[in-house]
Amino acid sequence: MDVQEILRRVQPLAGQVIPVRTVQEAHPHEEFVDAYVAEVSLKGASKVIKALDSAFPRDPSRPLNHLRRFAKHTQLPDHLRSTLIKGEPSAQTIFVLITPPLPDVETLKTLLAPFAPPPESLSESSQQGGSIDLHTIRIPLQPPLTIGKAEKWSKAMWPVVFNPATPRATIAPPPQTLSRVRDSINPNAGHYLALARKVADEAEKSGVGRRVGAVVVDPELEAWIGTTDEDLGTHWADAIVAVAGDARYARRDAGAMSESERQLGLGPNSNTQVYNPDVEGGPELHALMRAADLVASGRRKQDGNESVEQLPLNALEKFFLSQSDVSGSGSSGDVDEPSPVPGKYQKTETGAHAIIKPADSSSAPRLRSREHGGYLCTDLDVYLTHEPCLCCSMGLLLSRFRAVVFPRQGRMVTGGLASEPVIAPVPVSAGTEETHEAPEQTEDQDQHEEEEKMSNEHADSHPKRLYYGLHWRTELNWRALGFEFVEEATTKNSAEEGVAFHA
Amino acid sequence: MSAIEQEDSRHGYFMKQALLMGEKALETGETPVGCVLVYDNQIVGSGMNDTNRSMNGTRHAEFIAIQEMLRSYPKSTLRSTDLYVTVEPCVMCASALRQYQIRAVYFGCGNERFGGTGSILSLHSDFSIDPPYTVYSGLFSKEAVMLLRRFYIQENEKAPRPRPKKNRELNTRFDDIVESYNHTA
Repeated sequence: MDVQEILRRVQPLAGQVIPVRTVQEAHPHEEFVDAYVAEVSLKGASKVIKALDSAFPRDPSRPLNHLRRFAKHTQLPDHLRSTLIKGEPSAQTIFVLITPPLPDVETLKTLLAPFAPPPESLSESSQQGGSIDLHTIRIPLQPPLTIGKAEKWSKAMWPVVFNPATPRATIAPPPQTLSRVRDSINPNAGHYLALARKVADEAEKSGVGRRVGAVVVDPELEAWIGTTDEDLGTHWADAIVAVAGDARYARRDAGAMSESERQLGLGPNSNTQVYNPDVEGGPELHALMRAADLVASGRRKQDGNESVEQLPLNALEKFFLSQSDVSGSGSSGDVDEPSPVPGKYQKTETGAHAIIKPADSSSAPRLRSREHGGYLCTDLDVYLTHEPCLCCSMGLLLSRFRAVVFPRQGRMVTGGLASEPVIAPVPVSAGTEETHEAPEQTEDQDQHEEEEKMSNEHADSHPKRLYYGLHWRTELNWRALGFEFVEEATTKNSAEEGVAFHA
Repeated sequence: MSAIEQEDSRHGYFMKQALLMGEKALETGETPVGCVLVYDNQIVGSGMNDTNRSMNGTRHAEFIAIQEMLRSYPKSTLRSTDLYVTVEPCVMCASALRQYQIRAVYFGCGNERFGGTGSILSLHSDFSIDPPYTVYSGLFSKEAVMLLRRFYIQENEKAPRPRPKKNRELNTRFDDIVESYNHTA
């Protein structure tokens, strides 16, 4: 079957693209440390802050802006009120929080002594006037991620401020970016994932690899195609810059025959039934790594460095690689298959909108060259049949992909992207009558706690795996947006329950 | 294991060979990370970072060395093979080495940005379907750091937006501060 025919026959997967939460979201990091509270005179409050900040400069790498610096009697958590206030609460005093790094107690007391409450207004019983009492309390070091958490901490520890903007930025991609990208990839994702399965089928049928495939898309080209309202036909494929299937059985180690050559005839390799590390090739033969290398080899060719192709390419791989040749389409083998690219350009040019083409002529390579800013896989999206292994997950970051999409059914116990187990949809609770300032966050919170409970309950029924959420971790320098594709009708079992291998 | 004890030993010899690969990388404008694979007391593969030349961000020294080794040895040999690498393997390489069932990894300096064998993640020992491997660190770590420093005071003309670094000076001090580099070993 020729490539155009394969493309025409692609049945898009039906479903929705949803972001994979980051590990920071799925498992919020909460640390609690000691802090001091002291009662000071209300009149001197602003001077107290100045004195504290100049004597004990705050650590800018540890912003504690979520903690109120002062609390009135009425704002104190109940248990603190009973320990801090012995007699009648005084309207002349206020409580100040001293956060870590905690200064020496005597130095602190001396510093605060001028601001001690006057004896007559002291709410504690029979203290000598002008002295400072320090009480140790526990405070949360990280800002609250939900309003529910802020309320909980304010009631139990110390008044905490919820800022919807700042904390999220440090633990997850900006919501606007995430939803803009999600919206832009959602319409065609089903097509690319379906094609990834075709690529995977070729890899498996030919015996060179497992049934894993990758499709690399340039979202800029995709957006450009999307400007035509007409039926897309196979034009969705015009934004593809590379496809690659798994090839783990294709390498000839030590000059011997490869695993695929050992096998007589075509058809799935018998090695796919088990996991035998000695015949698994290596991660550079996995679909994602091969896709990144095909992009690289496309660029090397554009630069005039003919690269030695180490592994034979299948028809789909060859076709999309040829679209990135400097000489343009048609010149490299598939003469009988007109490139869909020129058609796309003609169509839109005759249409209502006159749009500047991303490339300056219809024979320009699809893959942006280095002169045009092409660098590794920057600004490209990759669609996979399976959750990539840890090695490939980091490889996709080092290749600087913009986004990665895989079907939820393709989760792997060896995967590097998921951040938590799949949870059965939580029924919308009847808590909608709760009218908080931000009910969404509270719901989030409840749902999260619910999920945690459920994931613990289900822990035994799932194969053991770890959740790395490598696509967006605060510790790593490079990050990508991660998405799962949730199919409408899922009849097949999750790949997590099949043979455990590295995808 | 004490690093000083090891520097004269055969471990030291192999790490010096890895450092030489790192030097070669520096000469050719690659991030100076080098490694050698040792099987049966012999170097059976060596590699240096190759990301700039290949225009492929995943072509780290470890992959190059494994590729070279597999031209002459079957994959199963890696189970009795040790890796000497100047910088802690990154998350990608740490997982790859596990999948390749390496026996042990000796590295020079840590990798606070991407390290996959202790610094950021511990993929050598986490749960996985492949057996864990042992990691030893600290062998010639200063030499490994100096290679990186010499590289990072240069400008990266290949980057989309090269940053001018005219006024940078090579830092030759070794305080107890944690080395933090943007490198990807």
